[in-house]
Amino acid sequence: MEKTNERKRTFLLITIPVLILFFLFNTLPLLKGFVYSFTNFKGYGSYDWVGLRNYTDLFTDGRIGKSYLFTFKYAVVCTIIVNVLSLVLAFGLNSRIKAKSALRGVYFLPNVLGGLVVGYIFSFIFTYILPAAGSAMGSEFLSQNMLSNTKTAWAAIVAVGAWQSIAMNTIIYISGLQTVPEDVYEAGGLDGATGWKRFRHLTFPLILPFFTINMVLCMKNFLMVFDQIMALTKGGPAQSTESISYLIYQNGMNGGQFGFQSANAFLFFVVIVVISVFQLTVLGKKEEQL
Amino acid sequence: MNSKRKHSEKVNWPVTILLILGCITIFFPLYMAVMIALKQPSEMTNDIAGALSFPQHWSLGNFTEAMRVTDFWNSLGNSLLISAAAVILSILIHSLAGYAIGRNMKSSKFYNFVYLYIVSGMFVPFAILMMPLVKQTSQMGIGNRAGVILLYVVFYMPMNLLLYSGYLKNIPLALEEAARVDGASTWRTYWSIIFPIMKPMHATAAVLTVLGTWNDVMTPLVIMAGTGKNTLPLAQLTFQTQFGTNYNLAFASYLLALLPVLAFYLICQKQILNGVVNGAVK
Amino acid sequence: MKGRVKSAVWPAAVLAVMALSAAGCGKTSEDARTQVRMVQYKPEAVKVFEELENEFNRTHEDIKLTIESPNDAMTVLKTMFVKEEIPDIVGIGGDINYSNFLDADMFMDISDYEGLSEVKEVYLEIDKNLEFVPLKGTYAVPYAGNAAGVLYNRTMFQENGWTIPTTWQEFLDLCERIKDQGQQPLYFGFKDTWTCLAPWNAMCADLAPADICARVNRGETVFKDAYRETAEKILKLIPYAQKDPYGYSYNDACTAFARGESAMYVIGSYAVPQIKSVNPDMDIDSFVFPAADEAEQNLLNSGIDLQFSVMKACENKEAAYEVLRFLQEDQNVQKYMDAQNAVPCKEGDFELPSMLDGMLPYIREGKMADYQDHYYPAEMTVDAMIQTYLMEGDPDAFLGKFDADWKRYNRDIIRKVKEFERDGEKEGGR
Repeated sequence: MEKTNERKRTFLLITIPVLILFFLFNTLPLLKGFVYSFTNFKGYGSYDWVGLRNYTDLFTDGRIGKSYLFTFKYAVVCTIIVNVLSLVLAFGLNSRIKAKSALRGVYFLPNVLGGLVVGYIFSFIFTYILPAAGSAMGSEFLSQNMLSNTKTAWAAIVAVGAWQSIAMNTIIYISGLQTVPEDVYEAGGLDGATGWKRFRHLTFPLILPFFTINMVLCMKNFLMVFDQIMALTKGGPAQSTESISYLIYQNGMNGGQFGFQSANAFLFFVVIVVISVFQLTVLGKKEEQL
Repeated sequence: MNSKRKHSEKVNWPVTILLILGCITIFFPLYMAVMIALKQPSEMTNDIAGALSFPQHWSLGNFTEAMRVTDFWNSLGNSLLISAAAVILSILIHSLAGYAIGRNMKSSKFYNFVYLYIVSGMFVPFAILMMPLVKQTSQMGIGNRAGVILLYVVFYMPMNLLLYSGYLKNIPLALEEAARVDGASTWRTYWSIIFPIMKPMHATAAVLTVLGTWNDVMTPLVIMAGTGKNTLPLAQLTFQTQFGTNYNLAFASYLLALLPVLAFYLICQKQILNGVVNGAVK
Repeated sequence: MKGRVKSAVWPAAVLAVMALSAAGCGKTSEDARTQVRMVQYKPEAVKVFEELENEFNRTHEDIKLTIESPNDAMTVLKTMFVKEEIPDIVGIGGDINYSNFLDADMFMDISDYEGLSEVKEVYLEIDKNLEFVPLKGTYAVPYAGNAAGVLYNRTMFQENGWTIPTTWQEFLDLCERIKDQGQQPLYFGFKDTWTCLAPWNAMCADLAPADICARVNRGETVFKDAYRETAEKILKLIPYAQKDPYGYSYNDACTAFARGESAMYVIGSYAVPQIKSVNPDMDIDSFVFPAADEAEQNLLNSGIDLQFSVMKACENKEAAYEVLRFLQEDQNVQKYMDAQNAVPCKEGDFELPSMLDGMLPYIREGKMADYQDHYYPAEMTVDAMIQTYLMEGDPDAFLGKFDADWKRYNRDIIRKVKEFERDGEKEGGR
């Protein structure tokens, strides 16, 4: 009994300071931002209260609606591509290969590069290299810059976004694969479980917590896409690639819409929390079943 | 035991070769970056040769010039200080929090709430926090490097909490119970048993946190504004103004800034690789 | 018990570390001189401002001037305002940010500063136009202007015997002729949406009233009428540009023009350093964009690139004025203009960079009109709207959206203007 109390007390003593710290520098400023969402605050100087105007505007503003559609399309496609590829890559890099460390180092590189470098390099590839290759192959479709066509620009951004984030998800999957004990495979090997079957019934259930983490992190990172947009299209062509975060930053910070974009940010926050809690509960239930 | 050793010596060549081929997708853009960093603006042309051909003169002039323009050593020092402090504090605090919360969230509604509360903080767009935080840190007298470090510890808490509590699910309670029977306190059990076991996760969390802090512009820009101190990404803003970008200098500078993180990753990678749990369970 | 003590240690340690490092930064300098702190927004001008700062401090014993030229200065300035660490003088552009800061009541009335009389009337008028509602007093000293229009490759023009056009028809004929000779007349970098504003502004200078935005705010007219001609004419440029102009960035376009891939480039004088970095020996000249059908109607597109305002919170007005006086001394103005290829706002005989040769008569006579986009709220992203329009080519949809969006993004300002007008009527009636 004494032991249980000691355990409980220690846990509380760890948790409470953490909670206070988190509240002070995350929740408190969020609440202040929430208050600004009822004003026409520009980010500085004086402001007026405007009631619920910013929130009603959100639902009538065509740009906001378009940005939600674009962002969700982007996030869903990217999440799927990245998770499939990084899982495959993690298995590859975790298998018995030569030069394991070197290869892992190489595949990690894209994640270290900053936004401007990646943006500029890929702009160059999309503007000069792909069209040249496209015309050489006689493909009309490829001979145009993907970034200047409203139908293809988002796909180009997906490609760059995936290229950059696969590394991070691969690392998480690799660290997950490390927790899978060798003997599970040995036992599985004896039962004749190989390939897909082995993955489906032995490995995947064991790395499910890491799958959860990756799904949530992916959705979060891609829903908040900003750097790639800034570096590749700045919301163009014809405003077809304006993401929600891009609007919040550009119009809230550089423009004078701090109040309105605070409302947008708050709505966006609620939307992602709902999605993520849903993800966490569904996947959490799955984990428990296993 | 014997059969296992034989098994692990067998190299999987098809996968190795596929992975090596895949490296092209990484090296090709990187090669372009290096070529651009070595050239002069006057060598840039609007065609394939502009980025792919070798420079006319091989010289590291762009690198020395970039170091001068960004006041490299001072900016690097600030970046190192901020990232190192943020990572060390993050690992200590977040792993503890992950332990306390992760071990209890299944059995306790309170801890489950705390978990969801903190993890959901991950989705707060920074833009909404920015102005209130600028004012708050300034009023608390931490509108400086210390404030940036503190904010990073808070910003990366949700992600790291997610990582640590996820990892803990695969660490059996039995490990702790053995120690408890021996009379060790929970606090001591944590530091002597759980903390070392989570080494691969420390390395992962450290890598992800460093990546976020190392390249971050916004937080130091607004929090440290007016202190006269620069981090590397802040100093690198110099290369890009609306009416002109010197990509050659910028790329030289970016490649320089990339090296410390890369070195850090390579060190951490060994830790991620060592699956400690494997040994521990047996 | 032991566990409890230990677990209380780390938050305390964290706080202690924070407190220590915070304390280390609060050094105070003991200096009897009056401190004047200035923040200016052009990081590319950092060198010349360092020189000016040193020169000022060498010649003034009682005032210590510090000039900061931060990167991303507008964000930095806004955070300084939030932190209430407000500088004494700010150097910003004559654009919507100035209007907004003025509207937030942050600047000091400097009508009693004698240096204002030396500033060209046309630039003071531009600043007046930037006020949302007309204010009493003066709040900025215009310092440097820039000019936009058409940059051209002088060597190419001389070799082919092309002449400078002065009307819209002549311009189209010239483009046609260049094209017939197998050359590229224009090159655009419309992938960077802001470059869409370069031809737009330059054409509006000729075709739309300079105070159109204020007139719309007062409800006197709509953009549908005022911008119709500009909107229709700007579309005609596209056939003379390279294939897929939306696929190339500002940098690509500068490089292409520098390499002689096009004869002309519709952009401002600010692009010259970037072009010269690619081709240092290039002979560049410029002419005013001839969008009007009559040559006399054409105006040079020129605005205030840098102006100084004293903040309301400044405690040493006299010292701040002394800094302004110093910056306005002829040799210092010339020093700045040489470093930045800029046009001085001060009256006087200054040497101008050679690439402005073609615009010189307009500058001398003050035949100029401001950039229209200096009046557009940034969040309305008119640049992206123009890009969309150029791609889709439907003037009615574009202008209709322009009017509708304008009302939406400016409603607080329009309300203020209406209130001001109503009050004015009341006063007039008394």
